[in-house]
Amino acid sequence: MAALLEIAGASKSFGGVFAVADVDLAVEAGDIHCLIGPNGAGKSTLFKLVVGTYPPTAGRIVFKGTDITQAKSFARVAQGMSIKLQAPSVFKALTVRQNLHIALQDHVARHAIGTEEDRLLETLGLTSDAHRPAGLLSHGQQQWLEIGMALALRPVLLLLDEPTAGLSSDETYRTGELVKRLNAEGTTMLIVEHDMAFVRQIATGVTVLHLGRIFARGSIDEIVSDSRVAEIYLGTPHGQ
Amino acid sequence: MLHLLNGPQTLGNGRGFWISAGFVLAAALIYPAFADPYDVGNFAYFLIWVFMALGLCLMWGYGGMLSFGQTFFFGIGGYAYGVFSVDLGNAYGMALGDFAMAVLLAGLAAAILGYLMIYGRIGGVFFGIVTLSVTLALAFFLGQTAGPEWAIGEARLNGFNGMQGMSPLSIPWFGGGIDLEETALYYFVLILLVCTYLALRVLVNSRVGNVLVAVREDPQRTELLGYDVRRFQFGAFVLGSMLAAVSGVLYTSWGQFITPSSIGLPAAAMPIVWVAFSGRSDLTAVLVGTFVLLAVFQTLTIYSEQAALILMGLILVVTVMVAPQGCFVGLSRIANRLPKRNRTLRVPSAEPG
Amino acid sequence: MFADLFAYFYQFADVFAFLVLSAAGLAVIFGMMGIINMAHGEFIMCGAYATTFAYHAGLPLPLAQACGVVAAGLIGIVLEATLIRPLYSRPLDSLLVTWGLGLIATQGTLIVLGSSMAGIGTPGGGFRLGGYGFSIYRMILFAAALCVLAFIYLLFKRTRFGIYARATMQNANMAQALGVRRNRIYALTFGIGAALAGLCGALYAPTMTLIPTMGATFIVEAFVTVVVGGANVLLGTAPAAVALAVTRTTLNGLYGQVFGQIGLLLAVVLIIRVLPEGFSGWLAKRAS
Repeated sequence: MAALLEIAGASKSFGGVFAVADVDLAVEAGDIHCLIGPNGAGKSTLFKLVVGTYPPTAGRIVFKGTDITQAKSFARVAQGMSIKLQAPSVFKALTVRQNLHIALQDHVARHAIGTEEDRLLETLGLTSDAHRPAGLLSHGQQQWLEIGMALALRPVLLLLDEPTAGLSSDETYRTGELVKRLNAEGTTMLIVEHDMAFVRQIATGVTVLHLGRIFARGSIDEIVSDSRVAEIYLGTPHGQ
Repeated sequence: MLHLLNGPQTLGNGRGFWISAGFVLAAALIYPAFADPYDVGNFAYFLIWVFMALGLCLMWGYGGMLSFGQTFFFGIGGYAYGVFSVDLGNAYGMALGDFAMAVLLAGLAAAILGYLMIYGRIGGVFFGIVTLSVTLALAFFLGQTAGPEWAIGEARLNGFNGMQGMSPLSIPWFGGGIDLEETALYYFVLILLVCTYLALRVLVNSRVGNVLVAVREDPQRTELLGYDVRRFQFGAFVLGSMLAAVSGVLYTSWGQFITPSSIGLPAAAMPIVWVAFSGRSDLTAVLVGTFVLLAVFQTLTIYSEQAALILMGLILVVTVMVAPQGCFVGLSRIANRLPKRNRTLRVPSAEPG
Repeated sequence: MFADLFAYFYQFADVFAFLVLSAAGLAVIFGMMGIINMAHGEFIMCGAYATTFAYHAGLPLPLAQACGVVAAGLIGIVLEATLIRPLYSRPLDSLLVTWGLGLIATQGTLIVLGSSMAGIGTPGGGFRLGGYGFSIYRMILFAAALCVLAFIYLLFKRTRFGIYARATMQNANMAQALGVRRNRIYALTFGIGAALAGLCGALYAPTMTLIPTMGATFIVEAFVTVVVGGANVLLGTAPAAVALAVTRTTLNGLYGQVFGQIGLLLAVVLIIRVLPEGFSGWLAKRAS
């Protein structure tokens, strides 16, 4: 059976410089696949190719057996992808509830939206903030709200770009548990992460990118014990 | 549908609001009984412009597209109605057909312009100057059409002096049509305006309205929630522009003339002033604010048109510097905040319709 | 044959000069500050009026024109400091404020100075070639347009001010951290943009009737040149003006002025559909 998401020979160059070069990556249904690598490795660029922010210079991206290389972002989302970007980008001037409403309205029957909003607010711990503009939430709360919005789309594949950036270690752990629970409920995940403890907590497979190319792949234990990886990545203060 | 009259995208959702709105409407309905027809006609004249302002409110305040082209579509609507009504007449309900065709023609123009701009990813300040450029070019062009060769059928465009002699709107009735002038026009415009206002309230509180405000706040994020952002922008632009054409048709029918000066500067700046001053993010604020500004403008114009225009310019400058969200929206936010802090605004679909 | 060619070139030069001179001030302010100055036409009007006043007061024309440039520039600096500066982070609001100012300026001039004033005759005479007559002053305008382009290029590429201005444009906070005084740079940039608008008015004052709404004659051309040129003035303005001038001249010759203007707009709309970032965006992409 084909993988849920298949990236084949994907490259992206900006003005002649390759940010991503000839990357092959397959994410099987049910995986929690983590993408790691030092700064400038091309993780975010690869992510944006999957999301459709820009088309690849070369290569193909296949999702659920359909070639989506040239598809617009919204069409990819409509097919069951959902994305949480790196920087929190909730609708700051709208209330928390409105934010969720906009994410939910196409995915839940109209009479059920209110209940679903309440349930999500509860899950995210934002019930008492429902009527506040989202811009007034703390950084961590905005991250959670955004994950909530990504979940509201009922995705088959959830893409998270640094979901724990700026979170406390407690919040990070809770995010990890949330990710595992969602995965158990059937959501496949592709996650860009820096925090190795978090990756160890959740990952079923890890791919290391370095200078735009695949550098290594395997389970977290294989990656951690690979001395070449340690050299480029785990040797830095990032990786404990 | 009706439950969408209230929602997070409109101010004034409470019972108190609707009761006072009912009183205002009742007063407007019985007003002609107490005023002479000339004043009633004048009142209708104010209402005529509000459609254009509501259209701008929809695309700018809700959709985040600052169009300077409202008078472009106003002009297309007005001139098209003039041409149709001269050539096709207004008997047997044809006037309403002329009306509809003029608005549709403006819609077509908006679709072409909107397609090129929105799908060409023209945004921000460029959206404003491209729309203004076509507006000024249309005014310039119509100013050059004085010669007899510039005629469509029987209808002379007449250059700078403008078109004249078109027939007023009329509705078919037993034993001949009723020409809509003065009191009759007033009722027609009033009912049309109430319907438009309510329909827009439903629209902005619906799925489409939710997406529009999301696009205004962050188009990229909205696209990543699975919405084809440009389709919504396109729709809002075309609809808002068609509302400007409604104003244009009504204006032409009201005075039975239209000139290029109602398209070019300074006319093109007026909708911006009304909507910015009133508070672009709310339909009710725009409705009320536009009406107030028009009344002030009309009163001042009797003494000096230049002074009235200077005041409009000043209002625009002061509003942007001091109250960028607009006076009426600012005031109502303050009023809302003081009492009943815990009163909650529910998203409408969570309530029984 | 030569006369025909020269006639075409002359028409082209005339339109080109008009586009460049109309747009230069707008383009500088937009390119360096990201602000569209909607009162651009009124700065042009100001330059023309100041020139005419100075000329009637007895100054020779070139000096009178210098007065027009200075007057517009000074007003620009004052406006920047009072009304534009608070709106740096809100470019759409600065659009509205400058539009309000333009409205006030036009109508105020109408009240104070009436609907028209005595103009200046076009200087310089003319010459004939083949069957055509040409005005020397129009050739001077073409030369002036080339000088303005050269001036903008040298100012922003070769002077300390220009380097600071471009640094501020690319990253205002970083430039400020490096000791560039952002407010002064912006005030000067806006002043230069206004002065260039004033220059446009000063140069065209002898060729047209002076009315308070004369700015409207220029702004459509200024807008479309800037839109087609794109964000980078140094790269975009000249090719945009050439492309638009060729379009316009050809259409004028074939179908007359009205269709020249309409054709110009159609060309603009098509160009932005193909090159959404204008000529400068396209050139920058090709270069990389």
